[in-house]
Formats: sequence, structure tokens, C-alpha cells
Amino acid sequence: MNSAPGPHFSSDDFDAWMSDAPSAEARAHLDACPECRERAEAEREIVAMVSALPLVSPAEGFADRVMQRVAMPDPFSLRSMAGIRRRLFATRRTAALAATLAMVVAGSMAASIAWSLSHQQTIAAMGTWLMGQAWQAGWIGVRGIASNLIEQPWYSTLRDSLAHPALLGGASAIVFSMYIGGIVALRRLLTVPTRQVAHANG
Amino acid sequence: MASSPEWATLTDQQVVLLARGGREAAYRELIRRYERPIFALLFRMLRDRELAEDLSQETFVKALNAIDSYRPEFKFSSWIFKIANNAAIDHLRRRELDTLSLDGSPHAETPEAMQATALQIGARQESPLETVEAKELGGAIEAAIGRLRPEYRSCILLRHVEGRAYEEIAEILNLPLGTVKTYIHRARNELRVLLAHLKE
Repeated sequence: MNSAPGPHFSSDDFDAWMSDAPSAEARAHLDACPECRERAEAEREIVAMVSALPLVSPAEGFADRVMQRVAMPDPFSLRSMAGIRRRLFATRRTAALAATLAMVVAGSMAASIAWSLSHQQTIAAMGTWLMGQAWQAGWIGVRGIASNLIEQPWYSTLRDSLAHPALLGGASAIVFSMYIGGIVALRRLLTVPTRQVAHANG
Repeated sequence: MASSPEWATLTDQQVVLLARGGREAAYRELIRRYERPIFALLFRMLRDRELAEDLSQETFVKALNAIDSYRPEFKFSSWIFKIANNAAIDHLRRRELDTLSLDGSPHAETPEAMQATALQIGARQESPLETVEAKELGGAIEAAIGRLRPEYRSCILLRHVEGRAYEEIAEILNLPLGTVKTYIHRARNELRVLLAHLKE
């Protein structure tokens, strides 16, 4: 017979009692019900014993043994692409977004190809017009640079000097020598040393 | 982010982000945080030190190699405990364990192997008498836990040894919350019966 107030303890009541937060009603029941009190004490004892189990640790060097088998991510390798792919398909939402984006890109490409095939004459006319415009713009640019040069104060002196064949030959020889010298210097700079440099090893 | 972060101030999620960026120190920090609880869970589930160490390694290798697939909206602890628990349950399904040996693995064949696989209690200062008593009591509790069904064992260890919340245990074990509560309650009842002789 249960003469104590309220029903016998449920598992939730035992949990609440063990976490020191029982309701006033539960506490009143426990005070009056030896059956539940004995059970609650026993449960608390069990929990105390289990919680007091000794700490156990893996043998020393555990982290090193694990790290030997872990492949660190290389941001420049294909693994990072695999990571992006995994993240992209991680949830339904991201997968739906990726699928929508892929469909938009593929649709645009298909529409572009279809339009190009059906409007070949328009594209050819546009190409001709663009080429004409580009040629005209280029020619105006060259003419602008040339007229600018002609108006420079040193231009007439230079033209008179280069009019003499000997001076022209000399100037050409100097420019050619500088060009060859530049190439030789560049090659020496870019050649990989065949022997290790002493200070490179510290 | 600082070049050498104060690890103690970072959450698991922040450490995982650093690990994803290829920082070895972040990997080591995750191992440092969870090597003891994961090993303890596996040791008490399997009752074999050598095997627990192997499966702990497998757990970390699996988790850290798949760190890109970890979803930060979940707790890292739930994720790694889930991997460890699955490894233990898979192993238990393949092999049935019988008795607990505090003196070493039941599979150890030489005295050296038994010594090497014996339970190593954490560095807590105790007198020789206390050590013997604790070893006897601890052995009885370990043995009683070892006699529980694996599902009950996982629940009781995660709840009362690792101090995990019911909700997290439900997430780790992929069980409804009510089932977790029932399992823990039943596990405590069974332990009460199994350990009744200690009160006599």
C-alpha cells in the first residue's frame, strides 16, 4: 500500500532527486515512502560508484601514433576540391543550390549555342563591324603617336643624324650590342646552378 | 587568427576550423582533448586495453581524416563519441567478451603481455590499502558494467562516467531520448542487483 502523498517515483523523479532538484511534492513523497527512499538511496550509491571509476589513459605517444596515420589537408591538392564537393552536397539545401546553379550555367550555354547557330549572318555582320571599328581606332592611335613624335624638339636633330649612313651604322651596332649583352646577362641569371651554394645549407 | 592561438580559449568548432586549414597543432589539440574520454569509453566497453587502444587510434584516424565532412552545427564530442561507440559495438557484435581482467587482456599469452595490457589507473595518490580496496571495488563495478547489454553499457558510461547530457547521448547513439532514459534507468537497476553483494 502506498500511504505516502503522490505516486511512486518514476525514473525522471529519481534523476531529479539525484541532481538535487526534486520537486516539493517528490520530496514529500520520498519522506513518507520507505520503498522509494530505499530505491533512491541505492540509485545514488550506484551512480556515485560508477562516477568514481578511476581515470584511464592510453599509452604514451598516442597522439604521435595517430598523427602518423592522419593525412593533413593540402589546400593545393585535389583533396581540397573533394572537400568543397563534400561541403556542397552536405545538406539538401546546399545540394539544391548547387544543382540550380549548374542548371542555370548549362541552360545559358545551351541557349547561347542555339542562338549562335540560328543567327550566323548577324554574328558575321557584327564581327565585320567590330573589326572595322578596331582597325580605325588602331590607325588613329598610330597617327596620333607619329604626329606627337614629329612635334618633339629633338626629332629634327635625330632625323638629320640618322640620314648619314655612317652614323646610322654606328647607332645600329650599339643597339645590337646592348641587345646581345642583355640576352647573355638574362641567361646567366636564369641558369640553375649545377652545384649547391655553400651558404644554402647554413 | 593569431599564429599561435591559446588553445584552451578555443571551442572545439574553432579548433576544427584550424585543423581544416592544415594546422597540425590543431589536430593534436583535438587528440589531447578527447584521447582520455574516448579511450576510457572503449576500454570499459571492450574490457581490453590493447584493443581499446587500437580502436581509439582507429576512431581518431577516421575522424581526423574525415574532418572536412564534420558539420559544425553538431557537437564535435558527439561526432567522435559516435564514431568510437560504433567501432565498439561493431567489434562486440563480431566477438563476445566474457570476463573482465584487471590483470590484463584475456588475449595476453605471456606475463609481459598481461602486464602491458593491465588496467592503468590514473595518477591519483592513494595508500596501498586504499589502492587494494579501490581496485577490488573498481573491479567489481567494471565487471558489473561489463555484464550489461552493450547498449546499456554505452548509455551508463556516457551518462555517469563521461557526464554527457541525455540529449547528447541520444544523438551519439542515434536513439530516441525516451529510449536513452529507459536504458540508463534499466542499467542502474541491473547494476544495483549485480553489486548488491558489496553491501553485505
